[in-house]
Amino acid sequence: MSKIEVRHIILFAVAFILQFTVIRFIEILHWRPDLILIVLVSFSLRKGPNWGMTAGFISGLLQDLISAQILGLTALAKTMAGFIAGILSGKLAVRTEYFLVLLISGFFHDLIYFFFYTIGEDFSLRSLIIFYTIPNLLYTVIIGGVLYYFFETILAES
Amino acid sequence: MNKILGLFGQRRTILILVLYLLLSFLFMATNDPFILRGMRIAILQGIGWVSSAKNYLKYRQDLEEENKILRKKLLEISLANQKLQEQLLENLRLRRLLKFKEESNFSYIPATVIGIGQEQTIRSLILNVGSADGVVKNQTVVTEQGLVGKILIVEPHESVTQILMDQNSLVSVRLQKSREIGVIGWTGNLWLDLNYIPRDVVVEPGEVVLTSGLSRLYPRGIKIGIVAEVAEVEYELFKSIKVKPAVNFNNLEEVFILFVQDSLLTGKQSREQN
Repeated sequence: MSKIEVRHIILFAVAFILQFTVIRFIEILHWRPDLILIVLVSFSLRKGPNWGMTAGFISGLLQDLISAQILGLTALAKTMAGFIAGILSGKLAVRTEYFLVLLISGFFHDLIYFFFYTIGEDFSLRSLIIFYTIPNLLYTVIIGGVLYYFFETILAES
Repeated sequence: MNKILGLFGQRRTILILVLYLLLSFLFMATNDPFILRGMRIAILQGIGWVSSAKNYLKYRQDLEEENKILRKKLLEISLANQKLQEQLLENLRLRRLLKFKEESNFSYIPATVIGIGQEQTIRSLILNVGSADGVVKNQTVVTEQGLVGKILIVEPHESVTQILMDQNSLVSVRLQKSREIGVIGWTGNLWLDLNYIPRDVVVEPGEVVLTSGLSRLYPRGIKIGIVAEVAEVEYELFKSIKVKPAVNFNNLEEVFILFVQDSLLTGKQSREQN
């Protein structure tokens, strides 16, 4: 196992702990950043779609198990997010790559999640996207932007 | 299609994606509450263990800190308690001495034992009073328990007392019941030896031994000890009597020195009475 993988595993573990403990304290009107998605995008960009999907599936499944959601739903969304981030790796301008990939994969992540979440329910998917997904995604990108420089520092050494 | 596959890189990627998507859908479709519950319990237990380990470490750290503080407090309290106990004992001793002083007809100078004499040949105590306080040689030294000895050496601010349990110390005594007179001395044992009590005199253990007042040194009627053991040796004229000293010479702290004039006066009175 390479250094970059080991460091990403540590980052995933830290992201999990923070996501389920302190993240509720920085919640704004029910909008929360997805720290696991932030780490997943960073990992997929470096390791490609295969690793990205695997990391997305495992982390999503664990998230489902911990958060008592429908088992497999976050796994599906995170698998897709990891896959999209992986295939977009190296195809965008370096300077904006991380933010754009986070935005795109995050959007698909939330879209898939809420699509399956609201099947058979009397929810408006469009309203969910406008009032929940987009603000949530923007919040995630802002936090991701802050953490990006931190990731760059600790991952650049490996 | 080839373009799409080219975008995806390899077919393996598609296969992995399909596999993960199928697995996700499978999980979503089944969602067996029993299995789910088991898996969730296992995951949450794992998280719980990590959390307990973290709490345990914090708890241990807090305990160590608390232990340090409590130890410090315990030491402080223990020292304060020792001081209080010391003061209580001193208070009790002084009360006894005061009572003794009030009940007695003699005049006294109170003194504190500040040391044990270092001379090889004399067993003695050093007192914190001397000629500047009116102390003179041969004055009698007592406690509320009985006779301690006599002043042997006088310095301006301290004096040396020769105690009863010294081989050179001999005191004229009287048995309280039989009124017989003997001489008491020390031969290196835990007891004092009472000599010159004739064989025909009835002496029983427990009888009190007092100063006779016949000598010019010690006033009459000061307790010396009690008879502990009486023995008669064949062909000996006198009984062999062991006397347990009234004073415990090992824990003496405060004593009184009798005024010389009083002791002489009492001695004269006792001689007149005898």
